Amino acid sequence: MVMSSENLVIYFISGIVLVGAGILVSHFFAPSSENLQKSETFECGIPTRGTSWFQFKVGYYLFAILFLIFEVEVVFLFPWAVVMKESGTSAFIEIFIFLFILGGGLLYAWKKNALRWE
Amino acid sequence: MNQVVFYFLSAVILVFSLLTVTSSRILRAAVYLLFVLIATAGIYFLLGYNFLAGVQLTLYAGGIIVLIIFAIMLTGSAGEKLERPSLNKFLLAILISLIGTVTSLILFFAYHSFPVIGNEIPATVKMVGASLINPGDNGYVLPFELISVLLLAAIVGAIVIAKKATR
Repeated sequence: MVMSSENLVIYFISGIVLVGAGILVSHFFAPSSENLQKSETFECGIPTRGTSWFQFKVGYYLFAILFLIFEVEVVFLFPWAVVMKESGTSAFIEIFIFLFILGGGLLYAWKKNALRWE
Repeated sequence: MNQVVFYFLSAVILVFSLLTVTSSRILRAAVYLLFVLIATAGIYFLLGYNFLAGVQLTLYAGGIIVLIIFAIMLTGSAGEKLERPSLNKFLLAILISLIGTVTSLILFFAYHSFPVIGNEIPATVKMVGASLINPGDNGYVLPFELISVLLLAAIVGAIVIAKKATR
């Protein structure tokens, strides 16, 4: 299905108007006060410690890259899932091989302690 | 109306691409790149390539940008402002992009009878799926299975490199 552009434009304009009008109205009618504490960074109500610009642990990167790889896998599951019922057994076998090989990857990650947070 | 949306998306892509390469804060550049990728997905939607648009949103806007941001945050100097490039570099960059632009324009006007081909074959998710698991002609079942081997290699490679880095 191709989304009609007219609907999209109406959708965007009404979205902008709805959000913009809310902000504009509250800007004019809400009482406003400025103080030093209010302009601080909000961190769940507790005072922040240090700067947010610090070096992340390398573990995040490993998780991000593993996430990306398995996301690619999931993307290929979508078109398969759409035609699975019609194609029957052959589609099932094909996806089984696909998932089996990638399951090996998951097993490798598990065995190498890549899934453990250190 | 399609044209309005197209020009809007193109404007978004152009503006944010420029901001990506000119921003002096690298994390902001990554976020500008996110907007570029989202607008590109919008163009795919406009063409009716819903699956491609979904892939663009989940993998590029969702996955790659997260990866880029983590890579930036790993360096520890993410918050620092980059110094302005020297005038020589600036002029050289302008010269190179001008050469590229002029070459494309010359090619464009030399063969200006680019036929506009309408999107006659709708590429639905169903069609993508059907050709993905089709073992016969016009089927892509072997590449489909090879992708899993490629992804496996990517997993192993990523783990080997990352484990070496932490040790």
